Amino acid sequence: MDWLSDSLDNLARSPLLGYAARQRPATEPTAMAALALSGHQRPEAALVAARWLMSQQAPDGSVGIREGEPEPRWPTSLALLVWSRCRDGAPADDSERLATAIERGLKWLLECKGHALAKDANLGHDTSLVAWPWVEGTHSWIEPTALSVLALKASGHASHSRTREAVRLLIDRLLPDGGANYGNTVVLGQVLRPHLLPTGLALCALAGEDDSSGRIAKSLRLLRDSLSERTPVLSLAWSVLGLAAHRALPGEEDRWLDAAARRATRDDENRWRMALLCLAALGGNALGTAVAATPLDRAATGGSK
Amino acid sequence: MTSSLPSPSSDVPKSPGRPPLWRRRSLIVGGALVAAGFVAGRMLTTRLGRNRAPVFIARNQRYDSSLVRTIHDGLIATGIQPASFQGKRVLLKPNLVEPNRDIPHLTTHPVVIVSAAEVFRRWGADVRVGEAPGHVRDTELALVESGVQDALAAADLEFCDLNYEETGWKDNGGRASKLKGFHLPRSIVEADVVVSLPKLKTHHWVGATVAMKNLYGTLPGIKYGWPKNVLHHAGIPQTVYDINASLPKTIAIVDAIDCMEGDGPIMGSLKPMGLLLIGPAVASVDATACRIMGIVPERIPYMQLAADNLGPIDDAWIDQCGESWRPLVNPFQILDRPHLRPLQAQAGPLTS
Repeated sequence: MDWLSDSLDNLARSPLLGYAARQRPATEPTAMAALALSGHQRPEAALVAARWLMSQQAPDGSVGIREGEPEPRWPTSLALLVWSRCRDGAPADDSERLATAIERGLKWLLECKGHALAKDANLGHDTSLVAWPWVEGTHSWIEPTALSVLALKASGHASHSRTREAVRLLIDRLLPDGGANYGNTVVLGQVLRPHLLPTGLALCALAGEDDSSGRIAKSLRLLRDSLSERTPVLSLAWSVLGLAAHRALPGEEDRWLDAAARRATRDDENRWRMALLCLAALGGNALGTAVAATPLDRAATGGSK
Repeated sequence: MTSSLPSPSSDVPKSPGRPPLWRRRSLIVGGALVAAGFVAGRMLTTRLGRNRAPVFIARNQRYDSSLVRTIHDGLIATGIQPASFQGKRVLLKPNLVEPNRDIPHLTTHPVVIVSAAEVFRRWGADVRVGEAPGHVRDTELALVESGVQDALAAADLEFCDLNYEETGWKDNGGRASKLKGFHLPRSIVEADVVVSLPKLKTHHWVGATVAMKNLYGTLPGIKYGWPKNVLHHAGIPQTVYDINASLPKTIAIVDAIDCMEGDGPIMGSLKPMGLLLIGPAVASVDATACRIMGIVPERIPYMQLAADNLGPIDDAWIDQCGESWRPLVNPFQILDRPHLRPLQAQAGPLTS
C-alpha cells in the first residue's frame, strides 16, 4: 500500500474535508478522515477534526451535514464515533470537552426516532421497528441506523434498548439471501437486489450480534463474492470494513484497496474517498467493533485477518 | 456498453462562440421557456386561455447509431430556438436510480446522454450532466454500472454529483404538498435549462415514470435521504408536481428505445419500443408517453396536478410532431394491483 502514507500525510495536513474539492467542510468526510487518522496513530491531526466537529455541534447536541447547514442531523452519529475514538489519550482539556460533546450528542441521538409505519402487506420488512431516519419525521433506514448503532456501541451503550431494537431492525432488513438493499427488502412481493455499501455498513454495526436467521453469514459471503479490483471506492471501503468487523476478510483486500486508491488518485482529488480507503486499510478493528469470526463464516472462507 | 457509442453526426449546425464561465444566478420558475426565448412563441400558443404544447416522437431509434440528428430535429420541431442557448448553462439529468450493468433498460442509455449533450454544445451551451441517484449513495458505482462514466469521459463531459453538492433554497412553486421549498444542488440552481432525460418505465406506485418523476433525482440525498423519504412522506404525486414547478426551465428528451414494463422502476422487464420523445412541456411529453404505454395520463395523480400548469395533458391540446402516437401504442405490462389496474386505457397485460 504505497499510497497509504502519502494519503495520510495529505489528510493530516488538512483534515477538514468537503464531499468534493472546493466544497465547504462537511461532517461525514471529516469524520472519516478523523477515524482514519486516529486509527493510523496520528492523534494530533485526528483531534483537529474532532475539535471542528465539536464546533459544529448545535445546542441540542446534534451535528448537521456541513458547515452552515445544521439540518438534517443524521451525521451526529459520525461525530459521536469520532469523539469516542479521540477521547482516549487526548489532552485533559480536550478530553473533558469531548466527554461533554459525547454526552450532549448521545442525548440527541437517543431522542431521535424514525417514524414507524402501520403494518403494510406491500412491504416485506417490519415497519413497526424504530431506529434512525436520514431526516427526522421519516422512516428508519439501514445506513443511519447502522451509524447510530456504531456510535452507541463505541460510547458504551451496546446494551441500550434503542441499540437492541436497532440491531433487530438491521437483521430484519437484510435480504433473505444476504446483503442489504438501501433499506427495503420485499416490495409488492418482489425481493429487491443487494447493494454493497449498505451491506458493508450494516455488517459493521452487526459485529458480535447473534443471528439465528443466518442472514449475517449470507451477507458476508455476498460481499466476498462481489468485491474485486474494480469495485468503486465507497462500496469497497465499507464492504472491507464490514468483512473486517467479522474477521472475514479473504486476504485479497490489499490488492483491491491498492487498485481503488490508484483510480481515486488518478480520477480526481476526492479526499473523502481517500479517507475511506485509509480507514478501510486498517482492516481488523477500524471501527472498534471487530469480533471473532463465526464458525459458519470461518468454515465458508477458511481465512480471516 | 460504451464501445458502441456512435460518433456525433457532423450535419448538425453549430452556433458560434464560447460559453461563458459558470456563474451563480437566481432561479426562475419553470414553464417560462417562451419568455426566455428558448421556444418560439408560436409553438406554445394560447387558445381560450389554455396553452397548447408540441411533442415530437421519433421511431426506429437505436443505441448503435447516432441520435444527435434525431434529438436536434426533435428539438427544432417543437420550437426550441438554437440561438437562445448560446452561452447558456444546460444541465442534463438522466435517470441513474439503481444502475446495474446486467439490466441496461433500468437507466438512461449513455448514447442518449452524449447525443443530447452534443446538440446543446453545438448550439453554444455550457453542458453538464448531473444526477442524485435515489437509492445509491456510491455515485461512482452508479456511474460505472450504468456505463455513463466511460461515456462522459470519452465526450469530455463533466458530471455533477447532485447528491453531495452544496445547495440553495427555492420556494415551492407548486404548493401541492406541505413542503415550503426545496434544497436544490448548486448545479441546478445555476442552470438556465434542466433537460430531463428519463428512461420510459412503469412505476409500481404511481403507474409511470417519465420526465417529471425523473426530476426527483435533482434533489440531494444528503438533504432528503436515500431514498428521498422526505418526499414520500409529503406525498409522491404532490412532490413530483412541486419539484417540477420549482425548477428552472425544463425540457424533456425521453429514452424510450429500450424501456421497462411490469415491476418498474427497478425490477421490471425489458420492453423494446425504439422511440424518442421530445418536448418543452414536460407534462405534455409525459402524457403522450403514457398513452403509448396504454396508460391514461388523466388517471395519474401527479399528471392531474401538472395538467395545464406544466403543459396540457389533454391530447386535444397537444400538437404531435414527427410520428403520431396512436399507431405506436403498445401497452406495457403493469403489476396486477388495485392501485394500478385503473390506470390502463383498456384491460391490458398484467403481471404479478
